[in-house]
Amino acid sequence: MSVLTAAIGAELSKIKSSRIVRLVTGVVLGLHLLIGAANLGDTTTAVRNIGADGLIEIFAGERVLAGEALVDLLIASSLQIVVMFLPVVAAVIAGQEFLQGQLAQSVLSVPRRGILVTAKAVALVLYIGVVAVLVEAISSAYLYASVQDWNPGLVYAAGTLAEQARLLALAVLVSLVSFAITTLARSTLIGVVVSVLLMALTMTQVLARTVPSVDALLPVSAGRNLVLDAADADLSSGPVRAAVVLVAWAVVSTLVAGVVLSRRDAR
Amino acid sequence: MIEFKGVTKRYGAKTAVDAVTFAVRPGRVTGFLGPNGAGKSTSLRVLLGLDHATSGEALIAGKRYRDLTFPLRTVGALLDGAGPVPDRRGADHLAWIARSNRIPRSRVGEVLEAVGLTDAARQRTGRYSLGMRQRLGIATALLGDPEVLILDEPVNGLDPDGIRWIRSFLRGYAGRGRTVLLSSHLMTEMADTADDVVVIANGRIVADGALADITEGHPSLEDAFFALTGAASKQVWS
Repeated sequence: MSVLTAAIGAELSKIKSSRIVRLVTGVVLGLHLLIGAANLGDTTTAVRNIGADGLIEIFAGERVLAGEALVDLLIASSLQIVVMFLPVVAAVIAGQEFLQGQLAQSVLSVPRRGILVTAKAVALVLYIGVVAVLVEAISSAYLYASVQDWNPGLVYAAGTLAEQARLLALAVLVSLVSFAITTLARSTLIGVVVSVLLMALTMTQVLARTVPSVDALLPVSAGRNLVLDAADADLSSGPVRAAVVLVAWAVVSTLVAGVVLSRRDAR
Repeated sequence: MIEFKGVTKRYGAKTAVDAVTFAVRPGRVTGFLGPNGAGKSTSLRVLLGLDHATSGEALIAGKRYRDLTFPLRTVGALLDGAGPVPDRRGADHLAWIARSNRIPRSRVGEVLEAVGLTDAARQRTGRYSLGMRQRLGIATALLGDPEVLILDEPVNGLDPDGIRWIRSFLRGYAGRGRTVLLSSHLMTEMADTADDVVVIANGRIVADGALADITEGHPSLEDAFFALTGAASKQVWS
């Protein structure tokens, strides 16, 4: 166990000391801050105009229950960052291993490849987990700024926190898939391209409208099915099946990456 | 003690090393000599668990490298193709490696000082010269204060001061009863440093013994080397 914990610590040190990882993470968080700031005025105005009936008009002509709509808005604002950009951060982290003989140095330090891959996956989960919590905290801060005069408790209500927890799980799982793909391909670029393609397939809703049963098997679609409300969005499966699909993608792809890394020479 | 026992490594149809067998004793510097492409680096990569042997085994202190707990405390290695990511600082590169093997953080400063890189510790390694990268590689090998040192072409890129330093350092290291395996194709350097010599050509061991025995009947190690590997060397250049 101490070998594994030492390896996890080393992998975290690698992530934290990489300038490119810090840069990409900073850009993602900065972008989220900017998007949130741009939407703050509209959300605040909509909250100010909540009627006595408790309905809010976030999108023109659509009056819906304010509490639920605002939590959905909170999750949606984090979701776009989580599925679009955190897999890219994960690909950059995983791809560092295949630069300039880093993999050979890693195997010299931790020669048991199963432990090495496990340590990498755990370190990635911890790092992406922290970044995802920061994304959620930014979204929550903006929501709080909008609702503080109406219902400030909405931000930390049990239902809201449960939604945030599901989003956190999604962030970690889709990032693990991206990490595994990058490790299998030994290329940051391929990891990023595949992650973007998976995201595009889900966001364009092409498969969801034509063959929803196939769409439900894609990792990002499963993530969407997990965190969004069926009443508000066209979903291709229920949350339980989505959770199973997402966990299966993360576990199987990471296991395959581990096996392939173990069998190949460290070049 | 390092032992190669019939190690063969094939890449598809090409045999890189063929039934390589030799031992490296503690308290001595053993030179591993061979022309480019003879199989030196492949042998060392198999020994260090980076490449999988097709058959045979290579052991350090009676164990496979991968079976050593916190291996960097037993074995320090400098290999071509195992280096730092360019965007990481030199000290940070050593820090993660130290952490991976529970080596005290204080060793980072010590080994940087030993190789003369203290002033460059906060520089990103992408800005290092070839000599500085080589010094960082040597610092990495020394990090765990290991009993066994395995260095592949350690004087590449070093200036005369650095070459002299590593020569006397390795002599002192072996003098304290530790094991040093040194791969190089620089004959004069090897003749000044090694006690024992193993010569490999075309993936096969062609000579293995004390330096004095290998050079017996030849004016120099270089002459002995060409006598042993002549055909192989010509093959490389033809």
